[in-house]
Amino acid sequence: MSCERFNPLLSGYVDGELVAEERRRLEEHLATCEACRRELEGLKSLKEDLAMLKFKEPSDVELERYWAGVYNRLERGIGWILLSVGAILLLSYGAFQFIEGLIRDPAVALVVKVGTCALVFGLVVLFVSLLRERLTVRKVDRYSKEIDR
Amino acid sequence: MDESEAMLIRRCQQGEKEAFAPLVRKYAGAASGTAYVLLGCYEDALDASQEAFVRAWRHIKRFDLASPFYPWYATILRNVCLGRLKSRARRKTVALAEGHADGRSDADPVLLAERNEQRDRLWHAIMRLPLHHRGVVLMSHFEGMSYRQMADALHIPIGTVMSRLHNARQALRGHLTGEAP
Repeated sequence: MSCERFNPLLSGYVDGELVAEERRRLEEHLATCEACRRELEGLKSLKEDLAMLKFKEPSDVELERYWAGVYNRLERGIGWILLSVGAILLLSYGAFQFIEGLIRDPAVALVVKVGTCALVFGLVVLFVSLLRERLTVRKVDRYSKEIDR
Repeated sequence: MDESEAMLIRRCQQGEKEAFAPLVRKYAGAASGTAYVLLGCYEDALDASQEAFVRAWRHIKRFDLASPFYPWYATILRNVCLGRLKSRARRKTVALAEGHADGRSDADPVLLAERNEQRDRLWHAIMRLPLHHRGVVLMSHFEGMSYRQMADALHIPIGTVMSRLHNARQALRGHLTGEAP
């Protein structure tokens, strides 16, 4: 087998992730291939260097600010939900009143009545379609299931 | 997961926001760093990691107390970051004007502990990798995930994880020795 075929196995070897058979075959190859031995040393050295990289711990002041940012968003979430529910209710009621008044008004031309109804009906269809699409995507989106653990 | 962390999460599941604060403080550094590697922008990283904590809070009742918290949170964080990268790609023109369309031009290693010249070079080399390589380097070296865990998280076979990580390391070595394109 050529060195190219063994190359990815070198990383698995460095990480201790090879199964016994793969490890045995690689070790046999390493015993006879100096280029792969050099490659292995390079990977080991890189892994050691990477192990030295650590994320810094934020200061107490930064942590306070960070937590405040998260907390404020948590509080705001409830506000947004209430605002959205209220807006949807009011807008639906207002739209209903407006259309009812428009239809009952004999002074309004038929074309305006039909046009307005078509406009509102179109908006409703689009809204439902978008909502259904979102829900379908959510249902099949593999990432949304990551939360369930 | 240690007992105190499990206790905190149980309190969070009962709706006690104050119990969430120690968890956020404990993982804020790692969370910001992870987001920074993926997004390449400090402000975006802070914002995305905070948003991920908010999402974690919203779904905390579904969290299985037998599992560790951080890997669960890290999955949410990765999804938040990927979502942002997608929207960034959609409004590419705006992002270009902001100077970080490729997610790596603002690659100052401000979130690294114990910096020196060699570590800074390595950091810059990581930030020059394409996203799929940065992702596996992050999972393997910063989050200490096994190949099986990475394969599950990325929905790819273990063999692909191994070759992707190997290619990422080769590219890193290339950048460090100046042999990369």
